[in-house]
Amino acid sequence: MPKSFLLPALLLLAGAPGLEAQTDYYARVGAVGASNLLRDVIVSEITVRQAIAPMVAVGGSMTISPGYRAGLEATFLSGGYHGEQDEEETDLGTLRTGSLLLGLEGPLAASLRWRAGAGALMYWPSEEAGIFLQGGATRFLAGAGADYRRPVLARWDLMASLRYDYHRFTTEELDRRDFAQTQAVSRVSLSVGLARSLR
Amino acid sequence: MSLRPHTTIAFAALAAVACGDIASPVRDDLYEWRLIVPAAVGTDTVHFHWEQEDLPVRVWVAGDEVEALPSLMQRAIDTWESVYLYREFQAELVSDSNTAHVIVRGVPAPSKAVRSVRLPSALAPECDGATDLDVSPDLRELTLPIRIFINPRATPDTPGLGDCLALTSIHELGHALGIFEHSPNQTDIMFADPQVDLPSRFDRGTAEALYHLPPTIEAVGR
Repeated sequence: MPKSFLLPALLLLAGAPGLEAQTDYYARVGAVGASNLLRDVIVSEITVRQAIAPMVAVGGSMTISPGYRAGLEATFLSGGYHGEQDEEETDLGTLRTGSLLLGLEGPLAASLRWRAGAGALMYWPSEEAGIFLQGGATRFLAGAGADYRRPVLARWDLMASLRYDYHRFTTEELDRRDFAQTQAVSRVSLSVGLARSLR
Repeated sequence: MSLRPHTTIAFAALAAVACGDIASPVRDDLYEWRLIVPAAVGTDTVHFHWEQEDLPVRVWVAGDEVEALPSLMQRAIDTWESVYLYREFQAELVSDSNTAHVIVRGVPAPSKAVRSVRLPSALAPECDGATDLDVSPDLRELTLPIRIFINPRATPDTPGLGDCLALTSIHELGHALGIFEHSPNQTDIMFADPQVDLPSRFDRGTAEALYHLPPTIEAVGR
């Protein structure tokens, strides 16, 4: 990993005082929708999917070169997940996920900035049962998105974000039951919040 | 520009991993679980499973007959629940026998009741078991409760009694969740005289499959 990317992230985490002026923090709330976690066939097709869930995101970034920043973003969401077969749904409980994404951002248009990164996504089921019988899962995550900012206070911006991320889902229990490969899962989130101004 | 064969294969494999969906296993490890009964012409089959609205199945266990029976039945519930990926079957122990879907006793099975079907099993020297089903003559209704009898044939300190009661509890609950016939395989917990402690691959496959086919009989009475 390039030093220009890693070093600022570590300093950001450490809260280096000398870099305070260049550091930007934000928090947002929103909702996440995800594609199917799993497709299975027992007599007929079964799909498992997370419901649209509320999420919170916090993050920070710091300048690495004019116009470009590196940062960390953590998200947490909690919502139900269900199985569906022949148009009948079964509640499978609550699923919490947390992600940590190390990313880069840059200018896109006047108030718009792009963002892209990679990290990890953790699944924490409320109950170790079913597809999570052997526990949760941690998966590699890649994501991208755009942030829109509009000044609302002297040092604060209103921030609206659109995110897309992608990972391959499986669990230890699915592996144990001879499921092959992994399931492509896409997630899209929309969120709004406040960011300490970049100005 | 041309790619070397191994490079092409590597790219193809990468593309397959990146784009392919998860592939579910082939589930053909199962045995006949439906109750086969005489009919006016030939035989008929009875297929039952608990509906989602019945879950969790309420199981009442007599605690004063065999001390370990409540904990053994809880273990049996946990064992069968863990077979399922999509919460097809769930059960819980309850304290009121009047509302129970399944009643478990630690005594010998009484003489056969009128219209009931008995599934006797676990004929080990240490213990035996039986599950009684009250099936209507037209094979359309299963009157609840299902009654399970787990009978210790030996004194409590007899070696092997605990294991026998444990596997018999799992076996009889297997009947109560819908496996109405015995497996022909000695390595399955649903074999008539089970030799193993836990559900096998065939038991799991059978238990999964039966919850994804429409039942021919409906539970009534509770």
